[in-house]
Amino acid sequence: MFIFLKKIFYFFYREFKVNISGFHDILTNITFFFISIFIFIFSIGPQDKILSVMGVSILWTLLLLSSTLSLTKFYRDDFDTGNLIILHLNGFSFEFIAILKTISHFIYVQVPFIISIPIACVLINIPMEKVYSLLISFAIGSFILSCLGSISSSMNLLNKRNYLLGSVIVMILSIPVIIFSVGIINTEENFISLINVLFGILLIIFAINPWATGACLKIALQNN
Amino acid sequence: MLLTKNISLFRADKIIFENINLSIGSGKILGLKGKNGSGKTSLIKTILCILEPTSGSIFWKGKNIEKNLYDFYNNVTYIADKTSSLKQLTINENIKIWKNIFLSKINNDQIEKILQTLKLDSYKNKKTNILSLGETKKLELLRLIIENKKIWILDEPFTNLDSEAIDVIKQTFEDHCKKEGSIIFSSHQNVQINTTEDLLL
Repeated sequence: MFIFLKKIFYFFYREFKVNISGFHDILTNITFFFISIFIFIFSIGPQDKILSVMGVSILWTLLLLSSTLSLTKFYRDDFDTGNLIILHLNGFSFEFIAILKTISHFIYVQVPFIISIPIACVLINIPMEKVYSLLISFAIGSFILSCLGSISSSMNLLNKRNYLLGSVIVMILSIPVIIFSVGIINTEENFISLINVLFGILLIIFAINPWATGACLKIALQNN
Repeated sequence: MLLTKNISLFRADKIIFENINLSIGSGKILGLKGKNGSGKTSLIKTILCILEPTSGSIFWKGKNIEKNLYDFYNNVTYIADKTSSLKQLTINENIKIWKNIFLSKINNDQIEKILQTLKLDSYKNKKTNILSLGETKKLELLRLIIENKKIWILDEPFTNLDSEAIDVIKQTFEDHCKKEGSIIFSSHQNVQINTTEDLLL
């Protein structure tokens, strides 16, 4: 058990080192997010009421777009360098790799967004009482986006010509996530039930992710 | 230990290889020789069960390999024709990650000695993206010692290496065979290795 945990710990250490050395990528994502917010603010104009009504939807749309920017590197580097095979030969099944990579994507890509949400809320004039529910909805929703990102980027490995296909799939599949996430923030009565629905979606996608991703990785390595 | 019986691989109606029979036991070296595109890498990937043979079977310790896959994987180190070291990290960081993910028992003094033999010791705190192709290959081959497994499967291990490094690798192969290990390697180069058996593809 200790050996197993040690392997997992060093897998995350490896991901940490890779992500820290590629910190500019994380910074680029966050910069894209904030610049897009400013573009919305300038295009709508100094109308606080419109901004605070549309703010949550704008934030969610931008969070979705920003997190899709990081999808190209999800599995690509490990696939190209042969590390996927080496990890597989050393006791990491493709399904297990999918779970670990999804968690590390959440930690290193989505958590910086969660941290920057309060600042974004101030910029878009979202009332402070909504920030709390926005953080909860994004914490759950972003993990769903990481799972969807894992599936779509493993599908991208099967397709050598069109790297954007995966991002398109993520966007289509994330529509229900956005509907419920924005619903959570704008509702006053059904808060808990909508959180439960969003959490249910997370559990379903989290269960599907390893099998779907594992199968795609296996086929991609066979076709390589 | 490892046996293939009439394995064939067809891809998109093209015959990659056909009716290959191999057996490799303790202390043996098998060389897969052939030109570029002759199917050496595909054969290696088939042996590793990454590609599924169109026909034929592979056996590990007398059992069909599919039923015994993780035991086989516990005994095999694969060196691909690609670089698996992470370019963003230093040699030492790469080694630290390999040691811990592969649960290696090798100690730092042993690693230091090997780095000196491979003339990589002066770069150990430098990122691997500054290494030449040959030095990157040497670092890759270091994984054989770190993983410390019985079967070594290597795809084009001599590419980009100078004669001095090739001699070190030859010596390492011989030492591994003396310890009852087995080696399968592919090469399109004319490197003189005392193989037990050669297969021309």
